[in-house]
Amino acid sequence: MIRLEKVSKSYPTSTRPALDGVDVDIEKGEFVFLVGSSGSGKSTFLRLLLKEEVPTAGRVHVAGKDLSRLSNWKIPALRRSIGCVFQDFRLLPNKTVHQNVAFALEVIGKPQATIEKVVPEVLDLVGLDGKAGRMPDELSGGEQQRVAVARAFVNRPMILIADEPTGNLDPSTSIGIMKLLDRINRTGTTVVMATHDAAIVDSMRRRVVELSQGKVVRDQTRGVYGYGA
Amino acid sequence: MRAQFILSEIGIGLRRNLTMTVAVILTVTITLTMAGVGWLVHKQVDVMKDYWYDKVEVTIFLCGTNSSSGNCAGKEVTAEQRDQLNADLHATPQVEQVFYESKREAYERFKVQFKDSPDLVRNVSADAMPESFRVKLKNPEQFQVVASAYQDRPGVDAVQDLKKLLDPIFKLLGVGQKVAYIFAGVMLVAATILISNTIRVAAFSRRRETGIMRLVGASNLYIQTPFLLEGAVAGLVGAVGACGLVVIGKWYVVDQQLRPLLTFTNYIGWSEVVATIPVLLLSGVLLCGLASFFTIRRHLRV
Ligand SMILES: Nc1ncnc2c1ncn2[C@@H]1O[C@H](COP(=O)(O)OP(=O)(O)O)[C@@H](O)[C@H]1O
Ligand SMILES: [Mg+2]
Repeated sequence: MIRLEKVSKSYPTSTRPALDGVDVDIEKGEFVFLVGSSGSGKSTFLRLLLKEEVPTAGRVHVAGKDLSRLSNWKIPALRRSIGCVFQDFRLLPNKTVHQNVAFALEVIGKPQATIEKVVPEVLDLVGLDGKAGRMPDELSGGEQQRVAVARAFVNRPMILIADEPTGNLDPSTSIGIMKLLDRINRTGTTVVMATHDAAIVDSMRRRVVELSQGKVVRDQTRGVYGYGA
Repeated sequence: MRAQFILSEIGIGLRRNLTMTVAVILTVTITLTMAGVGWLVHKQVDVMKDYWYDKVEVTIFLCGTNSSSGNCAGKEVTAEQRDQLNADLHATPQVEQVFYESKREAYERFKVQFKDSPDLVRNVSADAMPESFRVKLKNPEQFQVVASAYQDRPGVDAVQDLKKLLDPIFKLLGVGQKVAYIFAGVMLVAATILISNTIRVAAFSRRRETGIMRLVGASNLYIQTPFLLEGAVAGLVGAVGACGLVVIGKWYVVDQQLRPLLTFTNYIGWSEVVATIPVLLLSGVLLCGLASFFTIRRHLRV
């Protein structure tokens, strides 16, 4: 589903490469934690999958496509097959919960009838039924992140990318979000989540890929956050 | 692509940016008005040329008792001189037709021309009017040949060409046209900068929306069209304003002011004005649409 071959990425403004010879292969339906300290290259890894950035060297394959050979006008189609969740939720503050989720479908031209059908379904799935009419600032952080997950998943993408989705949440709220991501993963969706929340990684016992200074230093199935476990 | 969604996005964008949108609309209005005025002045010159070049004739005034030119030396033209001139004019190859106008005929024409000023007519006698040959040339451009051949002949007071009288007017109109075009050019630069800035501000103020749109896989077309249409709509509104000003200008300046004041010529009609309207509208939309397009290309990347 996702394959990186000797991928390096150097930003023009920095001396040290953000990613350095990364080889990772992720199967369909896997749940993968991308761990490592701040600046280790986790976000860069995820941006490469969306072709928001292009690698300086190496190849990135997503859903059977070689992204280096993907022409620009096909990028939207790639992104429709990938849902994204971020630490800062990225909701539109002047739209309701329902409108925020519907927006993601409207802008890719889905018919109104479909939108009216699938938005309540996905809000139900993330546990926000009854809050469809709320504005984002009337929700708790955990609820806002649920809206973001609903928006990422409403189009039933093959891959869900989450960049420190629990970074702004307290531990008990984080557990709720992780349960949600786990449920989404169980529908067959491949989940790649960057985090440096040790407790979460340790409790989930899923595959862990650790980055350090842009290099993969560990790739472990059913791993934990730190060494020695 | 859903029209309702796009329309509401355009509306939101234009209102969010109201002061800049108004500035864009006004600049576009002025730009296109100036371009329209320049074009209509050009048309006016054409109309005048058509009207006058048809009628252009050379007038050879003959010496009278009160002629001032040295050629006359204070003496009136003699009958022999007049006959000689008449015969020579008929023999000149550049000449198409020759009319002789006597003092009496000149006086009659004068009375008709100034029938609104009886005082003036009362103070001028038929004897004070100059007699003349009115010469129609085969080609009005050949005035100089005829003038130099006749202006020093005995009995000739002066040679006058209508075209020569009109030339300063054409020059003046030419200058007016240039000024209008230069002004339009300068305003065009201002308009382009303003549109580009407005779209940039619009793109910045909606970066959250466009960021999410990119992330969920909205096509470039879908992301960019609202900005493009926003520019085009502002351009269209500005162009409509310019059309209004051109129409009002033609009605007020040409029909109300000039036509009664300067009766010696024809003026552009409504057909010339109407012909400019689609051009102005299209220019407004294209100008703003293109300026928006290139701004978006630079500031809303994939
Ligand atoms: N847009 C950028 N321009 C320049 N350098 C960047 C950019 N994004 C990230 N970096 C650098 O790349 C390295 C990896 O960053 P990042 O992928 O954000 O790591 P992480 O998400 O693990 O904190 C860092 O050294 C960071 O400074
Ligand atoms: Mg990061």
